[in-house]
Amino acid sequence: MNPILEHQHLVNRRLLLRGAASSIGVAALSSLMPQGAAAETNGPNIGKTHFVPRAKRVVYLFQSGGPSHLELLDPKPKLKDLHGSELPDSIRRGQRLTGMTSGQKSFTVVASKFGFKRCGAAGNWLSELLPHTGRVMDNICMIRSMHTEAINHDPAITLIQTGSQQPGRPSMGAWVSYGLGSEAEDLPAFAVLISHGSGKDANQGLLERLWGAGFLPSSHQGVKLRSSGDPVLYLANPPGIDRNFRRQMLDGLARLNQQQLASSGNPEIAARIAQYEMAFRMQQSVPDLTDLSAESASTFELYGEESKQPGTFAANCLLARRMLERGVRFVQLYHRGWDQHGNLVSNIPKQCRDIDQSQAALITDLKQRGMLDDTLIIWGGEFGRTVYGQGGLKDDYGRDHHGRCYSMWLAGGGIRGGHVHGETDDYGYNIVRDPIHIHDLNATVLHCLGLDHRRLTFRQQGRDYRLTDIHGNVMQSLLS
Amino acid sequence: MQIESRIIVWSIVISPLTVLNLLAEEADNASGQATLEFARDVLPILSDHCFSCHGADEGSREAELRLDIREHALAVKDGVVAIVPGQPKSSDVIRRIRATDDDIVMPPPDALKPLSAAQKDILQRWIGGGAQYAGHWAFRPPKRVDPPAIRQIAWLRNAIDRFVLKRLEFAGLAPRAEAKRHTWLRRVTLDLTGLPPTIGELDAFLTDDSPNAESEVVDRLLKSEAYAERMAMHWLDAARYADTNGYNNDETRTMWPWRDWVINAIHSGMTYDRFLTEQLAGDLLPSPTISQRVATGFNRNHVLTTEGGIIPEEYQAEYVADRVHTTATVFMGISLRCARCHEHKFDPFTQRDYYRFAAYFNNIPDRIVSYNSARMADPVLKVPSPTQQRELDQLNAQQKKLTAELKTRAAGRTDKQAEAIRNDLKAFTDRIAAIEKAIPVTMVMEEMKDRRPTHILIRGQYDKLGDEVSPGLPVSLVGKTSTHETTRLDLARWLTDPAHPLTARVAVNRWWEMLFGTGLVETAEDFGVQGARPSHPELLDWLATELIRQKWDQRAILKLIVLSATYRQSSDVTPQLLDADPRNRLLSRGSRWRLPAEMVRDNALAVCGLLHRQIGGPSVRPYQPAGLWEDVSVERRDKYVTDTGPGLYRRSMYTFWKRTCPPPSMSAFDAPDREFCVIRRARTNTPLQALVLLNDPTYVEAARAFADRIIHHNANDTDRLNFAFRRAVARLPGDAEQAVVNDLLAAARKRFTAQPVAAKELLSVGSSKVDTTIEPAELAAWTSVASILLNLDETISKP
Repeated sequence: MNPILEHQHLVNRRLLLRGAASSIGVAALSSLMPQGAAAETNGPNIGKTHFVPRAKRVVYLFQSGGPSHLELLDPKPKLKDLHGSELPDSIRRGQRLTGMTSGQKSFTVVASKFGFKRCGAAGNWLSELLPHTGRVMDNICMIRSMHTEAINHDPAITLIQTGSQQPGRPSMGAWVSYGLGSEAEDLPAFAVLISHGSGKDANQGLLERLWGAGFLPSSHQGVKLRSSGDPVLYLANPPGIDRNFRRQMLDGLARLNQQQLASSGNPEIAARIAQYEMAFRMQQSVPDLTDLSAESASTFELYGEESKQPGTFAANCLLARRMLERGVRFVQLYHRGWDQHGNLVSNIPKQCRDIDQSQAALITDLKQRGMLDDTLIIWGGEFGRTVYGQGGLKDDYGRDHHGRCYSMWLAGGGIRGGHVHGETDDYGYNIVRDPIHIHDLNATVLHCLGLDHRRLTFRQQGRDYRLTDIHGNVMQSLLS
Repeated sequence: MQIESRIIVWSIVISPLTVLNLLAEEADNASGQATLEFARDVLPILSDHCFSCHGADEGSREAELRLDIREHALAVKDGVVAIVPGQPKSSDVIRRIRATDDDIVMPPPDALKPLSAAQKDILQRWIGGGAQYAGHWAFRPPKRVDPPAIRQIAWLRNAIDRFVLKRLEFAGLAPRAEAKRHTWLRRVTLDLTGLPPTIGELDAFLTDDSPNAESEVVDRLLKSEAYAERMAMHWLDAARYADTNGYNNDETRTMWPWRDWVINAIHSGMTYDRFLTEQLAGDLLPSPTISQRVATGFNRNHVLTTEGGIIPEEYQAEYVADRVHTTATVFMGISLRCARCHEHKFDPFTQRDYYRFAAYFNNIPDRIVSYNSARMADPVLKVPSPTQQRELDQLNAQQKKLTAELKTRAAGRTDKQAEAIRNDLKAFTDRIAAIEKAIPVTMVMEEMKDRRPTHILIRGQYDKLGDEVSPGLPVSLVGKTSTHETTRLDLARWLTDPAHPLTARVAVNRWWEMLFGTGLVETAEDFGVQGARPSHPELLDWLATELIRQKWDQRAILKLIVLSATYRQSSDVTPQLLDADPRNRLLSRGSRWRLPAEMVRDNALAVCGLLHRQIGGPSVRPYQPAGLWEDVSVERRDKYVTDTGPGLYRRSMYTFWKRTCPPPSMSAFDAPDREFCVIRRARTNTPLQALVLLNDPTYVEAARAFADRIIHHNANDTDRLNFAFRRAVARLPGDAEQAVVNDLLAAARKRFTAQPVAAKELLSVGSSKVDTTIEPAELAAWTSVASILLNLDETISKP
C-alpha cells in the first residue's frame, strides 16, 4: 500500500465532498490547500517523522566538480617535506585511478601552495582561502573522512545525490519532499539554484536526475529557480495580460471547471481548480521571493557585494535564506567549476572567493534569525582530489579525482559545531580513523530531519527502495 | 521537543503507483472465511516478510532455513520444524511470529517488516490447512476460461463485459450508464490517435445511426498514421528513446530512424510477435533488411557515457545490464535486477540466470565513434532515405557508365574530351560523397565474430569475475537447463511462443492500462511475486489467449476493448460510487484522467489548427525558454536553437529529447527523462502545469490561432462559442457555461478596446502569422477566451 496515494485519495474525496455540497466559490478556493488537517490522514511517510527531528529544513551547498580537500579543509603539513617525492605504493595500495592519470609513469606528491589557519574557539584548521568561513568555524562540524567508490563525475555526483551511481533513483531532495511534504504555502518543497564558478567553465554537466524524482511521483522533483528570465519557468503572464485581467480569466476558468465538477463529480477537477489558484499565488510569491530590494544594507554587506548580482553563489545563498524563511523544505545549490585537473593554483582562489563570504553569511544570518538551530547546512562535492599532481610537478599544478578520502562539512540543526570528525593519513590519501561513506552521510541527514533512512521507502518493481540503498549508518558523533 | 510540521500539499498525485490489494481482501470478506489461495494470500506475505533471509538467496540466508521451498520448510533441523502441515502449534514459524520477546519474534524487529495480526492469522490458517505451496500465477501459462454467464444480457457487448460485470455484481455494483456518443468519440479518438476528433468526424458520427457506426470509427482510427504515432509514443518511454547520450557529456545521437521504424511497423499492422522479434533480433533474421537491422536499435537506446577517464569495462557492464533490465521489464514484466548481485530474493531467478540472459546482449563492440555532430558507439548502420537511396543508385550507375566509357573507347578521343569525362566523373563522385555524408547513421545490434566471454560478476561488480557462462534462458521459466548455445533470435522465439506465461499477458495489460489508466495488473512493470495481483485474473488470461488466437494482432485486441460496454461507460461519478470503488479497480465507470504530456500539447495544437502533420524524421525544437541547456551542459556549450516554421508545430513525440535537460513543458506533465525504461508514468496535478498552459508561448500562440479560427467560423458570438466548445471538448456549451464565457468575452473586449497596446502585445506571441483583417481588440478578446478553453480540465483530460 502506498501511503501517498492513500492520502491523496482522502484529500481528493474531501475536496469532492466539499465541492459537491457547497459548490465552492472562487474565494473559498485559496483555502483549499489542506494544512494541518492533512497530517492526520497521512500514511507513515508523509509529514510524519519517525522520531524527534533536529532540523526542519535543509540547504545543500553543493560544490560540483570535486573541490580539493588538500587545499581547503584537510591540512597536511608533512607534505611540505614530501613535496616532489614519489607517492609510495604503501599509500597508493594499487587503488584504481581514473583513465586520466592511470597511465602516468610517476605519481609525484604535490603539497598545497596555500596555508591553513586555526579558527574559532576550538582552534580547528581551515584554509587561508576561506577567511570568512573561518569566523563561523565553531558552528561547523568538519568531516575529513568522507569516501566514495566512484572516481568519475557522473557516477560520483549521482551517488551522493541519489544513493546510486547509475540513473534511476530519486534525489535526496525528492526523498525529503516525499517524506516531509512542504511547509511553504505557495512555493515548492524542493528548490534548485545553480551558479557558475569564476575558475573556469565546468567540464561537468549538471543533470536533471540530480534533482529528479526518480520513481517517486514527479511532483517531488526539484523546481529550478533561475536568475534570468522567469525565476520559475512560465511564471510570468504573457505580454498584454496583467494580473487583474489574469484574475478575471482565472475566475471564468474556475467557474467553468466548477460546473464540470458539479456535473461529473470527478474529484480531480477540484484539485485542478486548487492548483490554478496556487499558480496565481505563485505569480505573486515567487517575485516577492526573488525581489531582494527589501533586504537591508547590512544584509548585503554581510553576504558581500556579489549578492546583489542575480545568479551568483552569493545571491543564491541570500535567496536560499529567503526560501528557508518561507518554508521551503530543501534548497539545493550547485556551484560549478571545481574540477581542477590543471591550473588549480590560479583557479581555486577564485572559486573560494565566489563562496566564502556568502556561505559564512548564511550561517551568521540564519543564526541571527534564530533559524540555525533547525536548519541543516551541508557543504561538499562529489569527491576530493589526489595528492599527486596530474601531469607531474608544476607551478600551477592540478590534481585528479580522489574518492578514497575527502572532506565535507555540516552545520546547523542537530550538528556538533566546532567538531572535527575523522582523520586521513599524512598524504591525505587514505582514511586512518572514523570513515564516513556517502550512505552514512545521507542516513545522518535524514536522521536530522526525523526520518529513519531504513523506513523511508518506496516500492518499485517489487523492491522497497531507499535513499541509502541497503547501506548507511547514522553517525551519532556528528550530532550535538 | 517535537517540532510541529505544518503540511501543505504542494501537488496532488492523482494516480496510484502501487497497489492497494483491496480486491483480494474484499473477496474474502464477501465470502466469509474463504479458502486461502497460496499464491494470492500466503506467498505475498512470505515474500515480503520472510524471503529476504529465508528465501533463495544463499548469501543472506539465516539459520539455514528456506521457506520458499516446501520440503525445506518441513524438514527437521536440530529438532525443530519450521512448518508442520496441519499443526500450527507445533510449527516453529507460528511460535516465532506469535512471540513477544524481541529476541525470538520473527521477523526480527530491526528488519522493520512486522506482520499484522491478519497476516499472522493467514499463516496460521494456511499451516492448519496443510501448508500447500503452489507456483506464482504469472509464471504459469494463461488459462482460457469461457466468459461467465451473466443475467443482464442487455448491457453486454462482448466477452470482456461478462468478466467485468460478474465482478461488479459480486461487489453489488451496477455498471454506469453509457457515455454520450460525442464523449465516446472523443475518448476513443484521443486514446487511439492522441488527437481530438475533427468537427467533420464528430458530425459524421453523430448522424450515423447504423449499428456499425462505432466499429467503422474504430477501423478508421486504427488505420490512421496518427494511431501509429500514438502507439509509438506509448512505446518510447518503455524503450527509453532519446536524442542524446545522457550522462555527463550528453551529446546528440541519431536514434530517430529507430523511432520511425516503430511508427512504420505499427502503421503497417505488424503483429506483436514480429514487432518483438525484429527489435530483439532483427539482425539475426535470414538476410536481414536495413529496416530489420534498424529495429534492433531498441537495445541501443540506453544511455552512453563518453566522460573522460571512465573505465570502459565498468560501463560495458552497465550497458549490458540496461539491455537485460529493459528487455525483461518491457516484454516479460519482471525485474531481473535483483539477480545482478545475488540470487533474486522474491522471484525464481538465480544470478546464473541473470548472466546467461546478459550474455545475449554482451557481444557487441560498444566502441565510441563520432559521426558528424553526433557521438555514438559501434555497431552503427547507415540508413539512407528512399530518396537518398534512389539518387545514390542513379549516381552510381552513371559513375560506372562513365568509368567504363573512359576505359573502353579511349581511342580517337581528344584530351579535351577525356578531361570533360573526368570532370563529370569527379562531379558524380563528389555528389555521391555528399549524399553518403548526409545519410543518417544510427546504432544497431550486431554480433561480433569472436564472442566476448560473459562471466557471472560477483556481487555485480564489473571487475570481480566469476564463472564464465553462455547465453541461455531463465531455468525456472523454461523448466530445464539447456546446454546448447542460443542466440537473441532464440530468445525472441521463446518469448513469442504461445505458451510463454508472460509475453501476451504483459502486452495486453499495457494496452489495457493505456485505455483504462490502470492495468488489470496495476504494477504493469512487475508481474513477479512482489507485484500486484490482477484485478480480473480470468479476463487478463482471456485477453492474453485472445491475442494469441488473433495471431498477435494488436489492433484486434484494441478494437475489442474500445467496443466493449465496459469502455463505453460514463466517467461521471458520485460520492457513493467513489466510496464503493474509489480507484475504479472494479471498472464500475469510465476512466477519466489528465492526458499524457505529449497529448496535452498535441491536442491544443490540433484544436487551434497549428498542428503540422508530418510523420517521422529528425527531431525538432519547439519553443523553450532560453538558456536552459547552457545552465547545465559541459562548458555551457549546448545551446537550444528554437526552430522556425513547421518544427514548432509537430507532434510532441518529435520534440528533441535531451536527457540531462528534457523539454520542461513535457517534464511538468510527468514525462520521464528517458534515462531508463519507464512503463508507468505518474500522473500529478501541480501548479507548474497551470503555469505552462497559461503562459508557455506554445499555448498563448495556440489560443490566438484558435481565436482566429473561431472568429472566421461565424460572425455570431453564439455560433462562435458553439464551434469553440465542439472543437475543444466535442460538445456544445451549456447555458451556464455560455454565460460565464460571454461575461469574460465582454470584459475582454472592453479591456482590449481601451488598451490597444495590450492587445497588440498579446497577439505578438508566437511566430505564426497574425490575421490583420481582424480587429486586434476582437482577436485579443477571443484569444483570452480561447486560452481559457484550452485550460479547461475537460480539454486536457480524456473524457
